[in-house]
Amino acid sequence: MIRKTIKKEIKELFRDGRVRISIFIVLLLLGVAVWISSRQYQNTNQDYAAARLSEREVWDNQGEKNPHSAAHYGTYAFKPKYPLSLVDQGVDKYAGTSIFLEAHKRNEAQFSAATDQTGLSRFGDLTPDFILLFIMPLFIVLLGYNSFTKERELGTHSLLKSAGARGWKIVLGKWIALFLPVLAITTSLLLLAGIVLSNLPDYGVFQWSSLVAMGLVYLLYYAVFTNLVLWVSHWAKRSGISLVVSLSLWIVACLAAPKAASNIAEARHPYPTRQEFAANVLKDKEAGLDGHNPWNKEAKLLEEQVLAEHGVDSLHQLPFNFNAYRMQKGEEHEAEVYFKQYNYLKEQYQKQSGTYRSLALLSPFLPARFLSMGIAHTDYATHWDFSDAAENYRIATQKFLNDNTAQNTKYGERGYKASADFWKQLPAFDYDPPCLDKVLENNSSNLMILGMWTVLSFILLFISTKKI
Amino acid sequence: MFRYNFKYESIALLRSKWIQILIVILLLLFGFATYNGQQKTFKRQADIIEANAEIADADRDMLKLLDSVEQGFQVSASSWTIPNAPMAVGNYHPRLASMPPSDLSFLATGQSDMFTHFVKPTASGDDLALNFTEMTSPVQLLFGSFDIAFVVIFLLPLLIIAFSYDVLSSERESGSLRLLAAQPISLYKWLFQKLGLRFFWVAVIMTLSLTLVFLLNQVAIGSNFAAFMGFLAITLAYALFWFALAFAVNLWVGSSGKNAVALLGLWVVFVLLIPAVLNQLGGTLYPMPSRGLMINDMRAIKAEATQRQDEILDNYLRDHPEYAVNDTTQKRSFWHRYMASQQLVKKELEPILIRYERQLEKQQLLLNRFTWVSPAIVVQGSLNQMAGNGNKSYKSYREQVIAFAQEWRNHFLPMLYNNQEFRSENYAQLPKFTFQRPTYQSQSSALFVVLCSALIVLGIGALRFRIYSKKEQSLVNQ
Repeated sequence: MIRKTIKKEIKELFRDGRVRISIFIVLLLLGVAVWISSRQYQNTNQDYAAARLSEREVWDNQGEKNPHSAAHYGTYAFKPKYPLSLVDQGVDKYAGTSIFLEAHKRNEAQFSAATDQTGLSRFGDLTPDFILLFIMPLFIVLLGYNSFTKERELGTHSLLKSAGARGWKIVLGKWIALFLPVLAITTSLLLLAGIVLSNLPDYGVFQWSSLVAMGLVYLLYYAVFTNLVLWVSHWAKRSGISLVVSLSLWIVACLAAPKAASNIAEARHPYPTRQEFAANVLKDKEAGLDGHNPWNKEAKLLEEQVLAEHGVDSLHQLPFNFNAYRMQKGEEHEAEVYFKQYNYLKEQYQKQSGTYRSLALLSPFLPARFLSMGIAHTDYATHWDFSDAAENYRIATQKFLNDNTAQNTKYGERGYKASADFWKQLPAFDYDPPCLDKVLENNSSNLMILGMWTVLSFILLFISTKKI
Repeated sequence: MFRYNFKYESIALLRSKWIQILIVILLLLFGFATYNGQQKTFKRQADIIEANAEIADADRDMLKLLDSVEQGFQVSASSWTIPNAPMAVGNYHPRLASMPPSDLSFLATGQSDMFTHFVKPTASGDDLALNFTEMTSPVQLLFGSFDIAFVVIFLLPLLIIAFSYDVLSSERESGSLRLLAAQPISLYKWLFQKLGLRFFWVAVIMTLSLTLVFLLNQVAIGSNFAAFMGFLAITLAYALFWFALAFAVNLWVGSSGKNAVALLGLWVVFVLLIPAVLNQLGGTLYPMPSRGLMINDMRAIKAEATQRQDEILDNYLRDHPEYAVNDTTQKRSFWHRYMASQQLVKKELEPILIRYERQLEKQQLLLNRFTWVSPAIVVQGSLNQMAGNGNKSYKSYREQVIAFAQEWRNHFLPMLYNNQEFRSENYAQLPKFTFQRPTYQSQSSALFVVLCSALIVLGIGALRFRIYSKKEQSLVNQ
């Protein structure tokens, strides 16, 4: 019975002109999207490699210079693009790509692609994730809305009944028939992406396991939609009503809920404005040690403490340059201030994520979106991870520079310059995004919500269709 | 016949709860969107007021400190922050350059969630250090805002599609079309009237619910009456376009299922695909140069300027003898050298930075040339403009701030090079910033474009009438 239903449904689907056209359009769009994204990916990575190399050269060839001047001159950390961004661009367009690493200050990532585009970019891009997340569910709605209603409208419903068909068998047959084209399209897209990626010359971190995980997330997401659409089709009396209701589900899940969630999250847990943030940092900084200012209250305390520790009574007797030592201590205090203030941002973001999760109960789109971005390393969490890594590197760099001054100069000595080949000793900034296991662990609640959606929608479908 | 059609269709719409559902849905959608938009606007205003208050506080402290210094008292501030040095005022007491929201800012978030609305340019900072982006979670930028523009551009067409995709085909499928064909009215006219009536109801409900929702959310409709009417006009024209599409699809396509697929396909094309493709096209034809490589260039220029600071200062004073005429001390501090080389860096950076604005302009021009391809783009541009949150506003703001930053810097340079002190009486002369809204093109061209698209689509629908005018039967039997 199941096999016969599948066969009949598939045959019927492919006879229908609208289905053939829809499949053709979806495949065409996917092809174009993959092509555009892979070009973009290659361009971005070339620029990234060039910028990184050139910046390191600038750093290495500073010549003789005072280490603290070099610290102010600073260096840049550039964010690479990861292979699976080919499939899901995530928030990459809206997150900055380079961070300026200088003395005394933690800077935010700058120059996001969206700020360099016209207002049109806010409509979205023709990327594979757009098709996977928005168009495919719409495709399921269009293919499946009349799955049951047509039986009623054509009168075959009573034939089925009289043939003694079991409800779950018919449903399962219809389910598989509806899911097969979706499965075929998704698999072929991911395969295509996988082949493109493994043939790129510098695909380095690309792993098939991530791609498979991503594919599974999408399949779960589509299973939810398939369940809901079939359920609506079974419940509705007419095809028209079924279409309008399924369409409304799609609108709410994919269009309205994410936007509403973003508004609610922002209203409940707002970020400070850039100016407020800067003011808070300044206030905290002023309350502590200022590395440049020996008359600062905290600086005086530090002086007394160091003198007592070394059992000497003047700064000149110390085995190192106290000015550089104070500079380093000031740097540590500032790093703490930034740690605190950025942690506040992170907390706000965590709370916002909580809002998104609670609204995910209204929309399977949200967990799928977050999981897909997470696996592709294009989500906000990866961006945070990168910016934290850059900050750790900045702190280490400051210590490296201040220690050099402290060891090579005496207290009160001015005009010290480190030798020209000293700069090369600073290790290069290197960042590896979290591995797949870690990403899945961090996104476990999203996984759970998506899983819950899948299970509950299956139960809903099979319980309500016990009798056809 | 028109009277009967109007009357009985209206009754049918009421009985099928179509009108009631539409009222509830539109009130909810517009209400939520307006509330969100107004909250954002209020926050933006409050932020600017707070930032201004902070500056007023800081200024009071500065004047107090300045007064003490002028009276010869010992003060307990770090030496380089004491405001009798012009550079201390220029760097530690910047003015606020803010961009307040317009009255209709809530209509469209536009770029306002991405860019900041107040910056404080300092005398020593360069133009690149002015960060015009706001601190926002990129997730929010990705998802966008639930604003009036979203409801109008994305959701309104879907509502229209849901209520009109089967106007003709459902009559055919239920068999009542045969009865209708026996009436003394042409089917085309009947269909036109039927859809026209639906448009009429949508227009009435939209106008009333928008007015109600705006009034409830304290929107100053009275003082922005012309803009409000402009907004209604473009929104209704956009709705008309979608009704026209439904009319054409009903005539040309056929069964309910096919109509639905065709209309949704057209929705995807107009609202999602064309904007995305145009955006991509702009980016491909006029690609933005890499920001990473820009950083490399900037670093090289700065590094060179730092090494040649003394030389640069000499050249600079030779070029600007007026700066040093009144200076008898010939004192040269860090700032003398730094500001001179900063001016040079600015000059050399300018062509690099301008490339970005130029490319963006070119992309915008390309877009303007093709905007008519999709009414969704026209409406988006138009609403962004009414809200004052479009790219043009932010570009203008950036330019005004950069000009102001230069004015601010220039205000202190003569004092610096003449080794003059900043005094209390100089405070009143500090330059101030007021944002001038850019002049926009009139809304009527946008309205014209949308109306034209609607008419063209109606024409395409009516074309079937001309081609098959003898065979009206084909509509019934199909």
